[in-house]
Amino acid sequence: MNNSMRIEFVQPFVDSAFSVLREVAQAKPQRGPLSLRTGTTFTSQELTSLIGVTGKVEGVVLYGMSLICAQKIVSKMLGMPITEFDEMASSAIAELANMITGNATAGLEANGFVCDITPPSLVHGIGTQITTTVPALIVPIITELGDVEINISLSLANGKD
Amino acid sequence: MAHKIMIVDDAMYIRAVLKKALEGFAGNLSVLEASTGKEAVALFEQEKPDLVLMDITMPEMDGITATATICASNPGAKIVICSALGQQQMVIDAVNAGAKDYITKPFQPDQVLEIVKRNLAA
Repeated sequence: MNNSMRIEFVQPFVDSAFSVLREVAQAKPQRGPLSLRTGTTFTSQELTSLIGVTGKVEGVVLYGMSLICAQKIVSKMLGMPITEFDEMASSAIAELANMITGNATAGLEANGFVCDITPPSLVHGIGTQITTTVPALIVPIITELGDVEINISLSLANGKD
Repeated sequence: MAHKIMIVDDAMYIRAVLKKALEGFAGNLSVLEASTGKEAVALFEQEKPDLVLMDITMPEMDGITATATICASNPGAKIVICSALGQQQMVIDAVNAGAKDYITKPFQPDQVLEIVKRNLAA
């Protein structure tokens, strides 16, 4: 594997996150300052969605947020306030990550990186450690519903540069 | 006559959103649900739905493989892919597998209804 993270992998995720959050949650997203995670260990937030990417680009993308933020986003997605974070709410947050990542793959393809994604997994609770193969670029997406932190840990697959 | 529509998606949320969108359909509809490609293939053979709304990224069997499997034994099957994957290559793969149409998530209820009506009428 070419073990380096490329900045050009980031913009498709920002564009997609803005578009999806506007459409499904009627949010007004803004991008916070980009940073690079030191080391390859991610510690889960209250709610973390994880999606694998395979193909010319491979790795993992993690979407971390607080439970309050997730509840506000799900309430918008379902069109009604939610009182408990049940199976439907979990499904909606997982699908949000799926839509952002899936739409981002179109942007990656436009840059010559054809790839596929895995079904999303959801981690409930703070403190679970997830190890990635390359240090993640962190993109905070700031909305009035709360912040969604996108951790993009992607690199070119071996021999596919 | 009631139309039979099968929704195939591993996400409970998307199945609920699609069912809600289909409530706007003017005619009679009965809705079947499957949560993997493998389940979809088995349920299609059992129920022979008039139209399938099929996700791509699913456990056990993906939607492209399920579409190809269904269309191999049911050449007239009407399958519309509903996926978050918007790459041109994925659309080409879906059409080659036998899909009649492709809609990218997130979608509006009106888009779903329009695509359902168009494909049921075809």
